[in-house]
Amino acid sequence: MAVAAPHHVIVGNSIAGIEAAITLRNRDRSARITVISAEHPHPFARVSLMYVFCGQLSLKDTQFYPEDLYDRMRFERVTDRVVAVDAAQRTLRLMSGATLAFDTLLLAVGSTARKLPWSNAYADPALPRLVHHFVTLNDLHALDAAAKPGMSVAVIGGGLIGVEAAEVLQQRGLKTHFLIREPWYFPVALDAQESGMVAEHMRGHGVDCRTECSVQGLERAGSKVRLLGPELEVDLVVGAIGVEPATAFLAGSGIALNPETGGVETKDNLESTSCRGIFAAGDCAQVTWLDGSRRPEQLWYTSRDQGRIAAAAMLGDDVCYRRGTWYNSAKFFDVEYTTAGFLPPERTPAGSGWQTWFQRAPDRAVSQRIVVRNGAVKGFNGLGGRWNHNVWMQWIQQRRSLEWVLAHMNEARFDEEFTSPFTVLPSAALTEGA
Amino acid sequence: MQVGLLSTYRNPVQNRAAMAWLWALLLMAFYIDLYFFDHLDVAARLVHLPSKWTLYGLLYSVAMCVGGYFMLRKHGSSRYHQVRTAVLVAVQCTLGFLLPLALDFMGRPAYYFSYFFPLKYDILFPGTLKDMPVAVAIWFIAGSFVGVPLLVFYKGKRAYCSWICGCGGLAETFGDPWRHLSDKSDRAWRVEQISIYMVLALVFVMFGLVIGDAYAADGSAVRAVAQHTRSFYSFAIGSVFSGVLGTGLYPLMGTRVWCRFGCPMAAVLGLIQKFGRFRVTVKKDMCIACGNCSTYCEMGIDVRAYAMANQDFKRASCVGCGMCAHVCPRGVLRLETRDDAGPHEAIGTWTLDL
Ligand SMILES: Cc1cc2nc3c(=O)[nH]c(=O)nc-3n(C[C@H](O)[C@H](O)[C@H](O)COP(=O)(O)OP(=O)(O)OC[C@H]3O[C@@H](n4cnc5c(N)ncnc54)[C@H](O)[C@@H]3O)c2cc1C
Ligand code: SF4
Ligand code: SF4
Ligand code: SF4
Repeated sequence: MAVAAPHHVIVGNSIAGIEAAITLRNRDRSARITVISAEHPHPFARVSLMYVFCGQLSLKDTQFYPEDLYDRMRFERVTDRVVAVDAAQRTLRLMSGATLAFDTLLLAVGSTARKLPWSNAYADPALPRLVHHFVTLNDLHALDAAAKPGMSVAVIGGGLIGVEAAEVLQQRGLKTHFLIREPWYFPVALDAQESGMVAEHMRGHGVDCRTECSVQGLERAGSKVRLLGPELEVDLVVGAIGVEPATAFLAGSGIALNPETGGVETKDNLESTSCRGIFAAGDCAQVTWLDGSRRPEQLWYTSRDQGRIAAAAMLGDDVCYRRGTWYNSAKFFDVEYTTAGFLPPERTPAGSGWQTWFQRAPDRAVSQRIVVRNGAVKGFNGLGGRWNHNVWMQWIQQRRSLEWVLAHMNEARFDEEFTSPFTVLPSAALTEGA
Repeated sequence: MQVGLLSTYRNPVQNRAAMAWLWALLLMAFYIDLYFFDHLDVAARLVHLPSKWTLYGLLYSVAMCVGGYFMLRKHGSSRYHQVRTAVLVAVQCTLGFLLPLALDFMGRPAYYFSYFFPLKYDILFPGTLKDMPVAVAIWFIAGSFVGVPLLVFYKGKRAYCSWICGCGGLAETFGDPWRHLSDKSDRAWRVEQISIYMVLALVFVMFGLVIGDAYAADGSAVRAVAQHTRSFYSFAIGSVFSGVLGTGLYPLMGTRVWCRFGCPMAAVLGLIQKFGRFRVTVKKDMCIACGNCSTYCEMGIDVRAYAMANQDFKRASCVGCGMCAHVCPRGVLRLETRDDAGPHEAIGTWTLDL
């Protein structure tokens, strides 16, 4: 008797979902694979929202697989929102009212913007048009329609999405206030000197970049919004205080969610801890970090890796997802940023065994920071240049000394040709603590 | 965000709107007039230039200077683009305009020393060579068969196509605002692989015939066929394809239509590049799939597919303009000519042969 081909259903067609679907198809030619997404019928790069906003790319340019992907891979496409999952019956319900049965289910639903904590920001019928986010296509369209040159805007939240939003809004000709609660921009990754340099660069572009600026609430003031705390009146507000797993629709489904983060609780193979045959990958999955903590990893490359691992697990492989050495990159206006390894996010005092080597070019927004512990390099931050994080990670693994690394730094450069090479500047300093 | 590229998609001239079609028509009309009529000769005499070709050289140089200025306003933060654009414009202004002009005033034949066989196919015709000073003949022969190939082997096709050649020069400067319009589809890649070698084959056939013709008796069939082939090539490829369409289609199909689909020199240099040292290397696992590299590749190479697959690549068509690397917001790409790590060709993380 022929066994019916299994039906894999994937919710979310962004990087985690589509990589999982492709992995499944490459391994299993006969399986039925359905990919559901509410946002767009074809995968696009979420990281490019800013480029679409400023007209540097069209939305189509951000589609990272050819248009005929679904046909070639024989994915069934459903463009609809999943409103409920019944884990026991193995069905899910769509907004249209239809239900769909699955054998295995992958939740790759990603994240949505974290809402601002003041209830009137969304309750006041007039405010929603004034309060925006920058995470989904709907966010993009709404902000694009609302943001007009000459207006003023407050971007609340000093993270990576905030800086991108501030950049494109400023470029469009809005007076942009970038309000950061912390003492300096992006403190989880940058230290005071690096962040000061970035803030200087942003101010050079005309952004009013304010640190230690805690917004206490919002209030309507005619057609404008008044921000309580900084007492600032602006035409628009962009809330960029982080993202959270888009898992609200799973409440009551029996799929265990982390009460704090809302992430889907997973085992090492990304299967739900509470429901067999249901998996999670990407921004919405609660995973184990290198330091042992459990939280979602909201990154493009890790979402891709998780999608592939989850697909293998869906096919019954004995797999385990573990994030390797940390690395990342970003761009703050024109300043490119690369990081690898571990840089203590909290200040470690002198005598703790940590040391910091830092230098900054006198005339440009270029700097390097290397942290050392017990004679071996542990982490790198490079601003204003291009660095090959793989080479840095190799050096960390090899427990290279600072002297050795400084002598070899040019091997890790990844700049365009004719860029001046790395040199140790007179200002370079090694200090105790990190 | 790349300051110069902002609003690329908002400007009608850059997005195949009516204004773009108007530009295309104007450019085509200009080239038709240049190749097939004499109005520009009249204009040239008015400004005391020897011929319409010198006037064309002047206009071309001006277009490259102005285009180069705007190109550097966008991309001048990169030293690679600064140096490259300066060299391109300088080569055009000197070897492509001033030197031929000076030769002309001295009553000598005007040679364009920056163009080689097979792009400038007629310089090596026996009839042309015969009349050349020996030093000039050596320059063209050695340049075509030794100099440029060696340069390309070590430095990549870019050494010629993005640093010296006037056709590439116009594309990189005046044409820069339209580079994102190149066709990125697989179909375009397939067409390109056929069309470019067809033109190359045609050059060789024509060349064989012309050499045969030099030894053939008057009135022989070879002579007639050679004549016909020459005039066909000169009309269809030399004028219509490389000139009227090659430049006229800038605002509709991007700047490198001729370089990508037709140029016989590109075909040869592309093959040398495949065996040479030049490649685009990919920083492993850092691509965020944003699409800037593919969008701004004027040769229509889907750079992102290689970057996502962590694969360094050598593509025959890559003219090494360096724009993919420059616009990448995560610094994933680099043009390299170091003699290590072999090339990778296939892309395969998601492809499926059913
Ligand atoms: C502006 C911005 C810039 C960023 N820049 C970077 C960067 O530079 N580097 C980096 O590493 N990361 C970056 N990120 C983060 C990165 O985009 C995410 O980590 C990544 O997109 C996560 O992918 P995912 O597949 O998990 O989910 P998502 O990309 O969030 O996609 C989830 C998909 O699921 C769909 N979906 C959700 N719920 C349902 C439902 N109930 N029914 C049907 N469909 C549903 C959504 O519509 C969406 O299409 C950025 C994010 C933003 C917003
Ligand atoms: S492809 Fe041909 S025309 Fe284009 S730049 Fe290269 S040699 Fe010149
Ligand atoms: S691949 Fe890069 S260097 Fe080569 S032609 Fe395209 S953009 Fe230029
Ligand atoms: S290589 Fe760079 S420009 Fe190209 S898609 Fe990846 S991140 Fe974007």
